[in-house]
Amino acid sequence: MLKRKTLTAAAALCAAALTLTACGSDDTSGSGDKTDPAANVQSEQKKGGALLDKPFAKPDLTLTDTKGKEYDLIEETKGSPTLLFFGYTHCPDVCPLTMSNIAIAKSKLSKAEQEKLRVVFVTSDPERDTPKRLGKWLRMQDTSFIGLTGDFDTIQAGARSVGVHIEPSYEKKNGDVVSTHGAQVLAFSPKSDEGYVLYTERTSTAKILEKELPAIVKGETP
Amino acid sequence: MNRRRTALPAASLALAGMFALGACGSDSDSDSGSDAKAAPALKAHGAYVPQPVMADMAGAFLVIENSGGKADKLTSVTSDLTDEVQLHKTVDQQMQRVKSMPVPADGSLDFARGGNHLMLVDLHRKPVKGDKVSLELHFEKSDAIKLSVPVKATNHTPEK
Repeated sequence: MLKRKTLTAAAALCAAALTLTACGSDDTSGSGDKTDPAANVQSEQKKGGALLDKPFAKPDLTLTDTKGKEYDLIEETKGSPTLLFFGYTHCPDVCPLTMSNIAIAKSKLSKAEQEKLRVVFVTSDPERDTPKRLGKWLRMQDTSFIGLTGDFDTIQAGARSVGVHIEPSYEKKNGDVVSTHGAQVLAFSPKSDEGYVLYTERTSTAKILEKELPAIVKGETP
Repeated sequence: MNRRRTALPAASLALAGMFALGACGSDSDSDSGSDAKAAPALKAHGAYVPQPVMADMAGAFLVIENSGGKADKLTSVTSDLTDEVQLHKTVDQQMQRVKSMPVPADGSLDFARGGNHLMLVDLHRKPVKGDKVSLELHFEKSDAIKLSVPVKATNHTPEK
């Protein structure tokens, strides 16, 4: 049922760098004087989504939605402002935080704007995230959210095409299943269907999204 | 000899810590200090549980500060909400369970968004915003710390 397409694994560079921001500041113990490296990075950029010099094409993903139906991302979201996030439901922190931020920001839009916006959550853990589970989890946040699952390699290639790095889930000796979530939300323009604004974990807050979504819905620069 | 209390700029440290942490946790330095007589002096604050999406798991966040000159270790956490609380650190968007976490001398162990978190699994009930959840922190050296932790909105993130 799932269409397999070879995707260019090229574009990963830019966002791979962004992915790293989550790591690295492991010396937080120390004494009084701290120059916060994360804060420095933050102050260099404006507080909001990053406008991409080289926008991403929408990933060519045909997957299964929460009703068990085939869903062609390019086709279904053509001409609609679209937010895309890769995550998984057995995730206590970043995935519910991100989706909740989006849900809150979306609820502040006008009704007409809300109807235009597509929010797509693609699972990075298709083994555990069945259509049913995905649907249940997403409905708790916003009934309009679209959840997609399917073949992991297809999902990984799609993620990679927009610079999102995910690894297959694996089980450790202690029985833990370890999955990866993306570190960014990509906004696609209704005009070009290209991913032109990128939100990191730091900038995908409800406040920032609330401010910027009206522009995104129009395909304008937030 | 008495416990040595080093005056730390508590608030700013905690906040900066939470922010800087964003990441992999301060698992590097455990037993520092040749100061053998000093003891850890622990205090926990800023704890919250974001309202979980479903009852199968919840996260919890807090800061454990150690103003003593000796490191300690968080070895386990118990709660009325579940029989199982795991300690997790996040590395490259993956969470890894660990058996214990160091609370460095004159430092802090931070559980914050995007970094370390407590993961509560198979909840007895789904807590909602406004509820209280009990957490009991157990350490290698120090006495346990009991907390009554507020449940906040799913997207709650403390102000910087």
